Amino acid sequence: MMIIDAEQLTKTYNGRGGCRGITLQVPEGSIFGLLGPNGAGKSTFVKMLAGLHRPDAGRALVMGQPLGRPEARRKLGYLPELFRFQDWLTPVEVLRFHGQLSGLRPQETRTPAFRGRIRDTLELVGLSEASDRRVGGFSKGMQQRLGLAAALLLDPELVILDEPASALDPIGRYEIRSLLKRLKGKGVTIFLNTHLLEDVEELCDEAAFLYEGELLASGPLHKLLGGTDDPGGSGHNWRFRLGGWLPETWTELGDAGSGCRLRLVEADESGNALLTARVADREQAGFLCSLFIRSGLTLYESGPEPNSLEAWFLRMAQSRQGGDPQ
Amino acid sequence: MTMYISVTFKELTRKRVFLVTLILTCVFIVLFAFGVRELTGAEAQNETSPAESMLNRMVLMVLGLFFAQFLTAFFVLFSAMGIITGEQENGLLLAVAARPLPRWRLYLAKWLGHAVWITVYSTILFASVVWTIHSFAGVPVFAGDLLRSYVLFIWMPLLLLSLTMLGSVYLPMLGNGIFAALLYGFSLFSGLVEGITTYGGSPPVLDKFLLLIGLLLPTDSVYRRSLYEILGGADWAGLALSDMGPFSMRSVPSNSFLLYTAVYAAVLLLLGCRGFSRKDL
Repeated sequence: MMIIDAEQLTKTYNGRGGCRGITLQVPEGSIFGLLGPNGAGKSTFVKMLAGLHRPDAGRALVMGQPLGRPEARRKLGYLPELFRFQDWLTPVEVLRFHGQLSGLRPQETRTPAFRGRIRDTLELVGLSEASDRRVGGFSKGMQQRLGLAAALLLDPELVILDEPASALDPIGRYEIRSLLKRLKGKGVTIFLNTHLLEDVEELCDEAAFLYEGELLASGPLHKLLGGTDDPGGSGHNWRFRLGGWLPETWTELGDAGSGCRLRLVEADESGNALLTARVADREQAGFLCSLFIRSGLTLYESGPEPNSLEAWFLRMAQSRQGGDPQ
Repeated sequence: MTMYISVTFKELTRKRVFLVTLILTCVFIVLFAFGVRELTGAEAQNETSPAESMLNRMVLMVLGLFFAQFLTAFFVLFSAMGIITGEQENGLLLAVAARPLPRWRLYLAKWLGHAVWITVYSTILFASVVWTIHSFAGVPVFAGDLLRSYVLFIWMPLLLLSLTMLGSVYLPMLGNGIFAALLYGFSLFSGLVEGITTYGGSPPVLDKFLLLIGLLLPTDSVYRRSLYEILGGADWAGLALSDMGPFSMRSVPSNSFLLYTAVYAAVLLLLGCRGFSRKDL
């Protein structure tokens, strides 16, 4: 079942920016990553899902409810990107306030059970030591943790996180990643809008790529990266750093019949080039190395791609910037 | 709603403008009480006639309430000018508006949260001024007049609150503050101009202009009706308020006009709820 089902969702600002015609499905229980460069329209899309922006066109169902209805936000936890809580409240007061905003009566937020829930949530995000301090004195990272606590307070079925780790140090990021994995284990669906590709690579089952307001790709991560439906991934992405590259080398390599699809990532005027290929095994990579050497190229480096998502990200962006998409 | 009342109270008490307003208010009340006591004392020594003495004391009441309504307006403008766009700009609204609460309810809760504390503040000011005049100057105050005047006195800032909140849906914080203050200033100014024209009459164009301002923001009209009520309505006010310079009243806003202000406030709130519900945050 799809927990988010968007169809041709469009929102522009006086005809510019925003996002256009986004059709996207997010399966229940998955971690979904939304990727794209700055200004791609990711936050606009996320804000529409959270009910903060009204779409110009299209439709979407969130947990089976049409966008904009309060019911669509009843079991939704949302962490905005640039947010603040009232400086004069303590974390406990913030969470009580959000409990009441979510429909709890004031007396319900004073019960021992709810107090316990607040305590557990603050502990979950690592803020139990600061539970009685004013939010005004919090660092950005602590504010971010409190935002996450507010999003998780009422056992949401869907959590939308807009750049959740942007203000956190490496330890904080690691803790958030561990937390998201635990949430997924509990069956919570997580929609992650982030620039941190390592988070997406480690956590996400599915991803989508937005560029200048348009959806360029969407689906299971392994399929997007490898172009295969096989989750196990038939083959590896391999990279080769070469010297002596000439413009006509590309044609010569194509004629030599390498048996796999080579992609030129970058090449400069000094003859340095970076190539990638999807290879079946090490032997095929070795064959490519010998092919390069036979073609008169200098092989400086060969090995599995350290971050294939980054390469995919760059490839997607370059394909729309008029670069060589191969 | 109760949570917004308590959160608004915490918010107000932590704003520096609240402290400034509170200090100014205390200074005003003390100075006013001191002034009234001194003036009534001087009057007794000069053997002023009872009619003139009563008129002087009524002038003091008018001046006291004039400054009091000015302070309440100051309180409203500075506490509510950034109620929507201000909170949107600093990110406070993002997490709040994503909760399963209809936007119109959120808007009304914010209005109510501010309205409660504005009412408390206006009540303290009104009670202080009226009690001072009644105790030190001996101006008689009747329960019916007092109640009518009080209700109208607190209605004035609530009208201004409704306008300021509507403005804050569309205008940035500073722009809205200037917009609401200018409108309030226009309304105040039109009241003073009307007072001056009591003596020599006014051209029809000016009358139409004053009417238009009164319709656009009826705060001054409500304040003048409140004044009229506290000064004894038809029994005393007609006599007293015809000879007070810029504070004179050529005409008293009718009950129909008060009904108009109720519709005015309801329309502003409705437009605010609608605008806020459609606003992209």
